[in-house]
Amino acid sequence: MEEVDRIIVHSLRSIGCDVEDDIQSLRQFGTELIIATVVQCLKVILGDIDLPSSLPPGMSARFRLGASLANHVQDLGYKGGDLGYQTFLYSNETEVRKIFMFLVEKLPKESSQAADEPIGASVLLQRAISTEINTQLSMAWLPSFLKDKGVRNRSKPPGWQIEGACCLQHYHSCPVFIPKSIGNISNKVPKELRSYYIKHLPYVTNQTNLHRDLAPSIMEANSLEVAVSQDWENEWNQIGLASRLSQQEFKKRKYEKLLKMIKDRLQQDSQLQEKIDSQTAISDLNQILTNIETQNKTGNVKTKGSRFAHTEKLQYAKDEEKTMSQIGPAVPEKDKDTEEELEKKRKEEVDSLRTELSSITAGLEKLELEVKKFSTGRQEMEEEMATQKKSIEEKNAAYKVKKRTLDLLPEAEANIEKLQQLVETSSQRLINLSKQWEAHRDPLIQQYNELSQLNSKRESEAEKKLEEIKLFRNKMKEVADDARRKEELHKQLVSEYERMTKDVNRSAYTRKILEIVANIKKQKQEIDKILVDTKSIQKEINSLTGKLDRTFTVTDELIFRDAKKDEAVKKAYRFLAALHENFEQLISTVEDTGVVMREIKDLEEQVEIESNKKVLSNLEKISVDLQQMKKENATLLAKVKGK
Amino acid sequence: MELSASVTENIIIAGDSAFIHDNSYGQLVSCACKGILFEENRNVIENNPAFKDIDKDVLKAAYSGIVTLVIEAAKHDSTAENLSTFLEDCKYTVDRISTFNKIFLSQKSHIQLLLGKVGSSFPHIVDVEWRLDYYIKSNNLEKIDSAVYLINLKTEEPDEQTIKDIQFSCTLEQLQDLVGKLKDATKCMEKIAQV
Repeated sequence: MEEVDRIIVHSLRSIGCDVEDDIQSLRQFGTELIIATVVQCLKVILGDIDLPSSLPPGMSARFRLGASLANHVQDLGYKGGDLGYQTFLYSNETEVRKIFMFLVEKLPKESSQAADEPIGASVLLQRAISTEINTQLSMAWLPSFLKDKGVRNRSKPPGWQIEGACCLQHYHSCPVFIPKSIGNISNKVPKELRSYYIKHLPYVTNQTNLHRDLAPSIMEANSLEVAVSQDWENEWNQIGLASRLSQQEFKKRKYEKLLKMIKDRLQQDSQLQEKIDSQTAISDLNQILTNIETQNKTGNVKTKGSRFAHTEKLQYAKDEEKTMSQIGPAVPEKDKDTEEELEKKRKEEVDSLRTELSSITAGLEKLELEVKKFSTGRQEMEEEMATQKKSIEEKNAAYKVKKRTLDLLPEAEANIEKLQQLVETSSQRLINLSKQWEAHRDPLIQQYNELSQLNSKRESEAEKKLEEIKLFRNKMKEVADDARRKEELHKQLVSEYERMTKDVNRSAYTRKILEIVANIKKQKQEIDKILVDTKSIQKEINSLTGKLDRTFTVTDELIFRDAKKDEAVKKAYRFLAALHENFEQLISTVEDTGVVMREIKDLEEQVEIESNKKVLSNLEKISVDLQQMKKENATLLAKVKGK
Repeated sequence: MELSASVTENIIIAGDSAFIHDNSYGQLVSCACKGILFEENRNVIENNPAFKDIDKDVLKAAYSGIVTLVIEAAKHDSTAENLSTFLEDCKYTVDRISTFNKIFLSQKSHIQLLLGKVGSSFPHIVDVEWRLDYYIKSNNLEKIDSAVYLINLKTEEPDEQTIKDIQFSCTLEQLQDLVGKLKDATKCMEKIAQV
């Protein structure tokens, strides 16, 4: 029984029941604990049921709880005897054991399902941290002067670890430049950039001033690019796709919007500042604004074609002039510094040059237009010439035919006959030729058909094979992914298995079960032996009684025959009868004592069972509970009357 | 492990036998590890005869890709399996993957040490000196009669080569409080280690 109890207690603990460590068998379970564990079991089995997990103080509530527990357990299909509130409230060991065995069997086998789900990354990280801390804690203390710049050698697991803070350096990074799109054929790198890559760009490990900034710089560069691309993807998915623009257009629009915003803000601020601040700040602002303008221009030059860009440039120049003239009055005219004058002069010069440039470009455009016109005229003329030549050739051919017919006209009949003969021979030849052609053609056509069929077959086969290859590729990928996933799972499971505490050993259980089975076999054999023994004894008894009966009848007859003649024999016969009777009585008494002994044994067993049932203590409990109930009833009655 | 598009591109270049030959590939990886680890080797790739046939721009791109991969892989403590899956996606051959793993995994702990050095920390106590003083009297009080501990904590600080002192005095109760706090901290660490 102890084994069973241990299994039950273990499984109860595994579903989260609060069973204390020193409790090993069900005998130690109190009413409180029984109720709590049964409620927990029912909660695990049935999911959500509304039961209090601890014993309520009121007697009637306890009774109700016990009754509902009994109901729930019977609903689950419990068939071991009558179940009621008394089973839980006034428990006895065997019944409680039966109920717990039933409930433990009913528990869902969730442990196998839980193992299939992979563990989250955070849990794995936490575990790794805890194992690392564990190994570091288990190591002996080492004075700092024995460590080389804070690095300490360790043997298990082999490696190094950093202790102390003397070797630490603050995070400091600088921008690193990495060559981009070298292997990309479709997006060629400009020549200048390429020559810079080849001749002047230092290797990435040689780009930072201090070598120790290398790792932070590279990590920062990488994560920066990752973050930018993620951000862009988010923006593109949320706003960009909805705007129905191409990516470049969207980017350009955003860029322009930002520039405009900055410009507006700066202009507003400069107008505000005008009254308060000196002119230096304003001229600074001026410069920034022109910078923005030029940036805008260069940005456009890159994206557009040369001539178009040119005109745009001019447009922008006009815009710039506007803004300049807007900002121009901002500069106070009173103090005319030499620089201001110079700038003005320069501006004027630039303006004049621009107008000149625009006039020249206009002239150029006109000239280009004329050139175009002329070239189109030339093309037309050439076409006309070609058509004229064609018509001349046609006319020449017609003229030749007509001339021949005119030559033939004088000897018309002979010539006609000749011509007819010629026609006949030529027609005959034609027929011959066509026959020959047919003869040649048929096999060729057949061959062609065969070959084309073969070809189509081959093509279809090739397509099929291609599809198969594709399928196989997909399958390969799937299988590889699957294998990878399974490997990961396997790793996790192995680590989990290693981490698992092996207090409940499976092999020990099986060994114990086998032992129990062997014991039962032995007992059965012994029982069989005893049965055989009793049977043989029974047989012996039977044969003995038979013998006795037979000898008695024989002696009885012998003595009875002689008894008629002899008085002494008569006496002897009477003695014999008395002897026989006495012995019969003796035998029956022995049998009676046997029966009584058996009864005694039965009764003793019953007494033991009854004493096991803790009847007395339960009775006491019941009477106490009854009194409490009565008290509760009395108070309730008093309350009712008081109302 | 997340790598940006340009870095991945450069890693693919490093794995492409059209750009980097099979026999110089191993040299490239070991040069990257050396260049990360040792200051005197930071430019070891420059005049290496193994790479004289390779275009410098391609070599620079491939080198930067491998350097980034090595640092990021050490940062994430990648295992051979993780790396092989990643490199397989970058169209690496099995030979190249195993070469990379062999060179990288032998240097991983060193690179991790190097990465572990980046960061800040509170002053780290390495030693302690103490003295128990007894105040008898002062100019204000004729009779004080109390014991005072003078504690001197020797600490290491980031970016400092020398050991610094932190000095303070405290009474017996304050010292007991400090010791209790330290014990709490140790227990806390043990609790974390047991999860």
